Amino acid sequence: MLKRRPLQSRSEVILRNIVVIFLTVYMTIFLLVPIVMAFAGSFHLWNPLNGTYEWIGLDNYIRMFRYPTFWTAMSNTLIFCAVVVTFRVVLGLSLAYAIVSRLTVHKTFFRTVFYMPTVTPLVAVAFVWKIMYNPQFGLIDQILGLDINWLYDSVFALPAVMVMTVWKDFGYAVILFMSGLLSVPSDYYEASNIDGANAWQTFRYITLPMIRPTMVFVVITSLISYLQAYVPVMVMTEGGPGTATYLSSYLVYDQAFVKYNFGYASAIAFFILILTAVLTALSFKVTGERG
Amino acid sequence: MKKKILSAVLFVILALAGVLTVVPFIWMVLSSFKTNAEISALHQTLLPQQFTLENYLSLQSNFNFLRYFANSVLIAAVVTALVIYISCICGFVLSKYQFRGKNLIFGFVMMTMMIPWSVTIISRYTMFMEAGLQDTYLSLILPVMVSGFGIFMMKQDISSLPDELLEAARMDGADEFRIFHRIVLPMSKNSISAIAIFQFLWVWEDYLWPYLMIDSEEKQLLAVGLTTFNGRYSTDYGGLFAATAISIIPVLVIYMIFQKRFVAGVAAGAVKG
Repeated sequence: MLKRRPLQSRSEVILRNIVVIFLTVYMTIFLLVPIVMAFAGSFHLWNPLNGTYEWIGLDNYIRMFRYPTFWTAMSNTLIFCAVVVTFRVVLGLSLAYAIVSRLTVHKTFFRTVFYMPTVTPLVAVAFVWKIMYNPQFGLIDQILGLDINWLYDSVFALPAVMVMTVWKDFGYAVILFMSGLLSVPSDYYEASNIDGANAWQTFRYITLPMIRPTMVFVVITSLISYLQAYVPVMVMTEGGPGTATYLSSYLVYDQAFVKYNFGYASAIAFFILILTAVLTALSFKVTGERG
Repeated sequence: MKKKILSAVLFVILALAGVLTVVPFIWMVLSSFKTNAEISALHQTLLPQQFTLENYLSLQSNFNFLRYFANSVLIAAVVTALVIYISCICGFVLSKYQFRGKNLIFGFVMMTMMIPWSVTIISRYTMFMEAGLQDTYLSLILPVMVSGFGIFMMKQDISSLPDELLEAARMDGADEFRIFHRIVLPMSKNSISAIAIFQFLWVWEDYLWPYLMIDSEEKQLLAVGLTTFNGRYSTDYGGLFAATAISIIPVLVIYMIFQKRFVAGVAAGAVKG
């Protein structure tokens, strides 16, 4: 490895300065200032429609914790995240395992098919699934021979949204786990074979520890994106029936851009930010230790 | 023998999962050629009984769908090109140059990936309204032209380029801009493909920001148009099927073309991660 030398030529200094100045200015305008504004806003009664911006201290936060819909949205979000992330990991890992197996033919074909839903726009997919859940002529009741009004039933609505999300996203996990599995050196498997390990033991003690970085990556990126999910709910149920499918980010959308309670919405958004940080740290710990 | 059975079992599992994956697409495409009466009929058939193009044709006459489509292609292409170039150049500097404050800047880049949209969108909306940027395409491009994900991917990818290669070019008297354009960019095709597809998709499916920023109907993007269409013609299922088919197919086509490079690119970012 060559020893790093300090920057020398003029063009290196120029290029570095361009990038540093650009990123600093951009991050300040589009990241830091908005975060500070939102934080300040969460202590104000803030409505852009009538121009209100009054200091009210912690009232937004107190209101938030007393608002039953907030807690419904939070518990829905946690259930949604736990179920969808679990399915994404289990389905992704097992299908990836099946594809990379030496016994499988047409690997590229399956990989391409599984990834299709991930590269389709969510808004469009949500519309298709909304019609699929239609109780009169939707595909799902037709095939299963059931008569359930999925999206208008307070028991089935949230699971219905979760099924759609799992369908949409499992392919991403398949691809990531496939590359993780393929990066395990084959002598490890040979060695465990010679030692007489069975398939489960090989998976548990060789494969799983080796793909730990991929596992951490999948769990954390999934968690971050599901904590921010609002499109499926907005398209398919609008939070209903009642508040059965309110997710925390949908609540922010609803409070901010339907009801224009900017301050209150900012308070909820900050709660989501803290929740994201806590859950990310937690899943780093859990997925890190298990391997 | 045991191997044959196992291989058959694997195939059945994969094929089953494959069928479940494609059924919604097939159903959508086939339904888009059915009449509304047929779509909502009690007795359902998979194939259209009366094949019709009416859904696609009326889409254009009732609703300027092609316009939305063209707007989305334009914005998605511009943003994707900008994101790729900016990600590559930032990834190059952040991976191959040593300077003070580098880790701090990279920390902020990583932060953009973890900050929920809900935290920044309210103040960003306020800022853009006050700057008089509503109803301009600039408002759709500015906030997304730097991608934390893109810079992260490119930094990972470019750091694996051998330093000797860059040194050799420097010895030959190439300046940094030349090295970047002639060596670094061409050698990062896989990651670029992955970023291209993701970024195109993100712009293509983004709903809330264009909905907030764009007022005039002739400037609106496809995802918002789709929602407006549904609100206005909520019982025109055939039209909705046709509209969704149109909004899904371009991204699928791009994916099919680039899928090999793309998979290699996505994988590279995560395994090293």
